[in-house]
Amino acid sequence: MRRLGKWVVAVPMAILALATIYPLIFTANVAMKTRREYVLDRFSLTDSLHWDNIATAWNSVGMARYFANSLFVVAASVFLLLWLGSMAGFALSRLPFRGSKALFIGCLAALFIPFQVIMVPLSRVMADTGLIDTYPGLILAYVAQFLPFTVFLMTSYYRSVPREIVDAARIDGNTVYGVYRRIMVPIGRPALLSVGILDALFCWNDVLIALLMMPSADHRTLMVGVTSLRGQYTDNIPTFASGVLIAAVPVLLVYLFLQRQIADGVTAGSTKG
Amino acid sequence: MPTKNTSPAVRPTERGRTAGGGPRERSRHGAARRRGRSERFAPYVLVAPAVLIIVALRLYPLALGVNFSFTGDGEANGTPVGLANYLELLDDPLFQTALANVGLLVLLLPVAVAIPGLLATFIFLKVPGHRIFRSVYFFPAVLSPVIVGAIFNLMLAFDGPLNEVLGTIGLGPVDWLGDPGVAKFAVVGVQIWATFGMALVVFLAGFATLDASLLDAARVDGASLRQSIWHVIIPSLSQTIQFVFVTTMIGMLTSMFGLLYVMTSGGPEGSTYLPEYYIWIQQGQMNRPALASAASTVLFLIMLVVGLLQISVLRRAGRED
Repeated sequence: MRRLGKWVVAVPMAILALATIYPLIFTANVAMKTRREYVLDRFSLTDSLHWDNIATAWNSVGMARYFANSLFVVAASVFLLLWLGSMAGFALSRLPFRGSKALFIGCLAALFIPFQVIMVPLSRVMADTGLIDTYPGLILAYVAQFLPFTVFLMTSYYRSVPREIVDAARIDGNTVYGVYRRIMVPIGRPALLSVGILDALFCWNDVLIALLMMPSADHRTLMVGVTSLRGQYTDNIPTFASGVLIAAVPVLLVYLFLQRQIADGVTAGSTKG
Repeated sequence: MPTKNTSPAVRPTERGRTAGGGPRERSRHGAARRRGRSERFAPYVLVAPAVLIIVALRLYPLALGVNFSFTGDGEANGTPVGLANYLELLDDPLFQTALANVGLLVLLLPVAVAIPGLLATFIFLKVPGHRIFRSVYFFPAVLSPVIVGAIFNLMLAFDGPLNEVLGTIGLGPVDWLGDPGVAKFAVVGVQIWATFGMALVVFLAGFATLDASLLDAARVDGASLRQSIWHVIIPSLSQTIQFVFVTTMIGMLTSMFGLLYVMTSGGPEGSTYLPEYYIWIQQGQMNRPALASAASTVLFLIMLVVGLLQISVLRRAGRED
């Protein structure tokens, strides 16, 4: 490309970048305005930061409670996903056993079952076992939903670990479990980080599974809480925007610091699939 | 492996090692044997929790759901009704709209793939600011559809900022989310806005595997940018392009619930229904789990066709290589 050509392309791309980021900036700006300010002029930069909208959303709307619910559910789900996923990935990639290939293919097949297809029977199973509307139930639903993906990526990653490392550790007298704990977990750290962030984002961002598994109001996760804002604050846009902002900021922070790991996780599937 | 035990009991306990008694020689031998057995079952122990969860909470519900779809709702709960649910689906205007909207998504798919593909090409060619563009474009892809939907609820409101901007340049207000003819395009547009960064990153990973000397050769031969894209980039990236096609389609079919739920609730006049929203309404609102299961099965068949199409296309591409 000629140099001029590059600039001809760069200008529309910059406009698109602005269009991509502007709705977020707009929302953050609105969250800092008073209602009066918003009604008078939506676009102007707020003259001072009105944190009381955030405080209202955090306290009286109950975002604090939803936030804590989400944090707990996501942490527990991600922990279980990484633990079970790395164990299975280790066995499927580095331990020869009868049926391992079939299990891996079954896992791949499960990857292509979208939640929408199984949500009706799954909620019945959860109701029958008394797990509906409980934290263990929601955590289990998330683990089941994202486990095939986690197992798949951990298996692919562990396939790149030389067999000699496993064999050497076995000769040193480690049991299989010892190899898992002392070798595979530390060696798998980059993959665990990448997959863990993605799993955390999936769980944090989900609304359908949470709506279905946690019907009662005080069990709401943050995203379900955001959907309930819409009905309550249609005439108070700054408070509404504040709630949205509270839900978006953790993701923004994760993105700023761990963008590369997220991209690695997303593309790991594409290059191997 | 010291023993040839075919017992299916998967119980690798350490008990064997601590159990005392018996002559020393035999005890050690026993411990070694038990350890050997425990080691032999170790792979199964490691995969067991994951396999159990996947079977119990994904594969079993799939079978259960297909089974549900042939039974009745309400009074007829549990009794077999044959294809009645499927016939009812086909008669339901809401489900017809949902299927028609799937068709619309399929038609828009090339656009949703071409935009990130073209942008990735420019980023790969290092236009000024390519690093920033990459970071900015990717960001909405990590946001929840709920947040994206809430933000665009604000932007696209009838008395909202977008209409205000249109007003200042003399264009009448558009009822983005209230006009049945407009709302579905507004929602799909937001979906593309929110996810093109994901496809972009996948494309860039594909570009990383591209042989740069091919592009250089094309440039030396005086190829224009369009010729380079057409004759070098697209053939080299055919795998990536197919992957993006399928994942974008799957994303459109299974990850728009949050947007629909927040932006339109399926309205206006049911014009923004998709199968996943239909399933949710029948299950959660209408208390028709069997009908919802039938819709689920139809959705699954659609996904299966998409998956099989991918495999056949991949096979063909593999043969051409």
